[in-house]
This record gives sequence, C-alpha cells and structure tokens, in this order.
Amino acid sequence: MTWRIASQLALSGLSVGSIYAIVALSLAIPFKASRVLNFAQGELVTLGAYIALVLTSYGLPYAVMVPATLLIAAASGLLIERLVVRPIIGAPEFTLVIATFALGLIIRALIRIHWQDNVFFLPAPYAGPALAVGPLRVNPSYLVIIASTGILTALLVLFFQRTKLGKAMRAVSFDPTAARMMGIRVNTVFGSAWALSAAIGALAGLLLAPVIGINPELGHLIIKALIAAVIGGFGSLGGAIFGGLLLGVLETYTGALFGAALKEIIPFAILIAILLVRPQGLWGATPARV
Amino acid sequence: MLGANKLFLAVATGLVLAAAPGAAHAAEQGVTADSIAIGAFGPITGPAAYIGLAGRDGAAMAIKEINAAGGINGRKLNMTFEDDGHSPARALAAVKKLVDDDKVFVLFNVAGSNGTIGTIDYVKEKGIVMYVSFASAPGVTWPFAKNLFRGGTTEVPRYGELYAEYIVDGMKAKRIGILSGREEYPKNEGDALTRHLQSWYGIAPVKRAEFNIGDKDFTPQILGLQEANPQVIAFFGNPAEAAIALRQARELGLNKPFFVGTTMVDQGFLNAAGPVAEGVSGFALIPLLPDSSDPAMKAWHAKWSADYPNLPPNRPNIFDVLAYSDMYVLAEAMRHAGNDLTTASLINALENLHDYRVGPIATPRTFTKINHIGNLRLQPMQVKHGEWVQVPWESKRPSDILQRYH
Repeated sequence: MTWRIASQLALSGLSVGSIYAIVALSLAIPFKASRVLNFAQGELVTLGAYIALVLTSYGLPYAVMVPATLLIAAASGLLIERLVVRPIIGAPEFTLVIATFALGLIIRALIRIHWQDNVFFLPAPYAGPALAVGPLRVNPSYLVIIASTGILTALLVLFFQRTKLGKAMRAVSFDPTAARMMGIRVNTVFGSAWALSAAIGALAGLLLAPVIGINPELGHLIIKALIAAVIGGFGSLGGAIFGGLLLGVLETYTGALFGAALKEIIPFAILIAILLVRPQGLWGATPARV
Repeated sequence: MLGANKLFLAVATGLVLAAAPGAAHAAEQGVTADSIAIGAFGPITGPAAYIGLAGRDGAAMAIKEINAAGGINGRKLNMTFEDDGHSPARALAAVKKLVDDDKVFVLFNVAGSNGTIGTIDYVKEKGIVMYVSFASAPGVTWPFAKNLFRGGTTEVPRYGELYAEYIVDGMKAKRIGILSGREEYPKNEGDALTRHLQSWYGIAPVKRAEFNIGDKDFTPQILGLQEANPQVIAFFGNPAEAAIALRQARELGLNKPFFVGTTMVDQGFLNAAGPVAEGVSGFALIPLLPDSSDPAMKAWHAKWSADYPNLPPNRPNIFDVLAYSDMYVLAEAMRHAGNDLTTASLINALENLHDYRVGPIATPRTFTKINHIGNLRLQPMQVKHGEWVQVPWESKRPSDILQRYH
C-alpha cells in the first residue's frame, strides 16, 4: 500500500465517519435529555432528506430550503414526543425501544408509498468536482459534512453548558423528579430535546443527500451510528464524534485490506472488544464503584 | 357372486365415470371453471424493490388487459402477490404460502436471483410450473427441470459470453477490472464474465473487487482498481450503487470506460448518476427502453401511465416491460393449453411456443422440450447525450451454452 493510497483511504474513512458522527450526534440528544434510545432516529434522518427533496422540487432556493427543512423536522420531532414518547415515558425501557422502532417502520413505509425505492440525489450549491489536495482527491460535499459536524458539536457543547434550556436538559437527564421539584418544566425539556434531535437528523439527511442519495433505506445508517455512539460513550457528544470517525476509518481500511465481507464484521467486533474493556465507551464516564 | 342387476349397475356406473370429462383425474389446483390462480412473488421492500414493484405492476397491467379481453378460454386470471424482500428464505416462505395455502396453479416469478435460488428445489419437488421473468440464476434452467421456465432474462453464463465478447472484441480491451456486489446476481455476472474471459480469450481480470449491497462508499475498491490500471471496468450491482461508484471513480481520477450489468441499462440509473454516466455501456434485456420515442413504446407507456398515474420518476422501468411481456407469454401458453388446463398441458404448450411476443416492446420467446430459456437476445447500448442508445454490434461467436441443448 503506497502512502498516497493510505492517505486517500484515511481521508475517505474520515468522510464516511463524519456521516456516522453526525447521525450519532442526533441519536445522543434525546438520550441525553430523556434517557430514551430513539430507534426511529434513522428514519428522522431519512424524513429530513425527503422534506428537503420536496421543498427543492417546489423551487425553493437552497438558503431558504435548509432552515425550512430544519423547522419542519423540528416540528415533527415535537409531534413524535408529544404523541408517542410522552404517553409512555414511564414505561419499561424495552417498551420505549419497541415503540420508537415501530415508529421508524411506519415512517419508512409511508415514505415508500409515494417514492418507492427510487434513488434521488439532492443538488447542493457546494457540490462539485473533487478538489485536489496534493495527490489526494476530496469530494467538497464531504468537507461540508465534516465542517458542519464540527460546528454543530461546538454549538451543542455551548448549548448544554451555557444556556438555560441546555442546563435544564442535563438536569432532567440526571434526575427528572428532582428537576421538576426545582421548577424545571420537564415536559417542555423533553419536547425541546426531541425537536432538536429531529432537526439535527434532518441536517444529517440533507447533507448526505448530495453524496449518497436519498432512498427509504437511508435510515439504516442508524446501526453504524449507534455503534459509533456506544464506542464513544453513549450520551457523550465528543464520544459520538470520535466513535463515528474511528468507525469510518476502521471500516475503510478493513475493506481495503481484507475485502467487503470482513468490512461488515469488523465494526461489531470492535464494539464488543471495547465494551469488554470499557463498558462505558471510550469517552463515557466511568461508573462509580459500589 | 354379484347378482345380474348389481353387476349391470356396477358396469354402467364405471362407464359413466370413465366417459365424464376430467373424471379420470382430480381437478387441477388453482384452476376452476372461471378462474386461474397465479401466484407471483418478488422484492417489494428493501434495496431490490425497484424490480419487484415494477414486476408486480407490469404483470398486473397485463392481467387487467387479458381479463378485459375475456380472459383465457373463458377463465379470468387472478394474481396473488407476495413480498420476498430479496431474501432466499423469505422467497421460499412466499412460494410455500402461494402453493400450499393460496393453492395457485402456476408461479410467476418477478424476484431477483437472490430470492429465486431459495425456491428452486422446493418448486422442482412440487412440480408446479414456475415461470421466471427476471432472475438470471443458472439453477433455474440448469440442470434442466421440466417445470421451470426462464422468460425475459437469459441464463447468466450467456451474459458472461456476451459481455466478454463485447468488452474484448467490441470495446477492444484486454485489461479488465470487475467491481461486483456480493449478492447472487452481481456475483454470478462477475463470475460468468471472469470465466468466459479466461475460456474464450485466455484473459484474467486485472482486478476483481467486491462490495456489499447497500454500500455507500467504494473508495477502497476504486483505489485498488486504479492501481491495477484496467482499460475497462465492468460493474455489476444495483443502479444506486452504480451511480455512487461511478461518481466516486471520477472523483478519484479513475476515468476509464465503465461497462454495466443489465439492471443499469435503464433511465433510473441515468437519473441517479447524472452526467458521469456519459459513455457507459451495457446490454438491454428489451429492444426498446421505456423512455424510447418509438411509437410502440410510447403507446405502451401511455397505457401504463393511465393505470399508474401517481408513481414516481424512474417508473416504468425495464422490469415493468419484462413482467408485462412475460405475463402475456404465460397467458398465451395457457390459451394454447386449452380448456383442460393442467400443469402437463401448460408445460407442453410452453414448449411449443415459437417466437411469441406481445409486440415490438418485447423480445420473442421460444421454448423447446429441452431448452427452457425463452430469450437469448441482448441489445448492446451506450449512454450518449444522456440517453441509452443502441450500439450496432452483433455477437459472432457461437454460444457454448446453447450446445448443451442440442
């Protein structure tokens, strides 16, 4: 393997990993706020992409389409929290997992009714020919994904540390009862978390659409995103980013060195290996010893 | 000893029973006085849904027309469709349901090779006729089985022959790279091309790279191919994967011509790939693609649009046309089988079909008692100015496959 190939693979791995990272980020938000693992998050990414597709088909300029997509997605997240999650928030965790899983199936089936399994690519103003960086080539869309993920992470860190709503989300995540007793409107926090998560999912969808296309199966990325989030430390924003990038690079090198068959096995093998050594993930907080 | 009267009664009863039409055997499953039950299956969910949905809709459109014209010998066709999700296990479950629970007379298969391979042994055992419209899996027609027929697509070794001859003699390439999916159909096509490059031309691919269905990044494979410096890259997979792989190849500076499998020779691939598809070659399974301006195809397209006004872009695709055409083939055979429609009479009728097609939108089908591959013709095409256009090229080499049927 030459240095050029190794470097190109690293760049490709980081590009693919950034996709996993941004989806992992959207998965971490509702968990951080409401301790609910949202198995419909992949479909919220898909939904965001289709919302962008529809708005684009109506001729909306890109600069208008993006915020409109995020707002509609946020409203969808709010609706999901109010109608599906809140009524069963006190139920056993397995019930919540199944409910979100079923919700994901419903969203996917509804999308299929009109668009079936056709693939669409969303035009984007930054999409264009590959940029040459020395001997390496990089798709500008991937640079946008990487940059967006970085900016988003920084904004989210500031949000959770400096804003009233962000701090309230952390408090609710830690102990909803105590938070309620302190005067925090827990239901408002839940709703905000799900709206935020859906908007981030939609952002992921419309960033992915020019690169890998839109179809109802786009949401399968959630599996890799979940692995990335667990590797990094579930609930940790930095961990989600690190886990996603690590997964992307490992997957790409595995594919290059050992072929497509092992490429599907390695991520799960790594997940198990890490969890055996650090059950809380690479960046997760060490659980207190009793 | 029977009395004379009782003896007479017994003999008379026997004569009456023997004379009654159809009395010598039980009624055929799925056939009544006024209907014929057809069981169809294919993927309508998952990454291969673009073939199953089109197959279902194309077949349904044909059935609607046939029934409107009076049906087959006074019997209406009723189709029950099952989703196989492109999985061998689910396809087998679908077929078992159709045969054992729904009691269909004949199976109309619009599944891909991946689903089809799960059903072959069971269908052979049951003896029910299965007419396969799309799947190129060799097991459908080799080893030979009396009750299995292949319609629109030809057997995958024949693909290998034509692809090898076109790439080497037509595209003048000796260094060939192959990028193929790991599931049944693309793997078979890649293997068939590799075999025939070796057996006919003494050429081994300079690189064979594989990917998983649904993969979104092909950088490792493309870099490997780039290192091998092929003159042509043969791609076998689904249109969505082809579009991404082609784009990434051009991004990474791999600018060699691409040759693609038959599922890519369709408008859907062009819509997904955009300008990077220019110059791509492949073989079409039908003489006229759905977006052709030929009057016959335009007329068919108009009928299809009337039946399915709200379907999204990329439809109808080649599988709509194939399934429509093949349902007419099956119906024609059932018509020739006559009123006494049985599995045996249907097989006999199919084996006596010669050059039948519903119209210019289809390739003719011919079956014999020893050859159940109905279509041996593929049309070479190339993308020029954003459209698939026919390439004036014909195969000159005799087929090894056909020798075994003589």
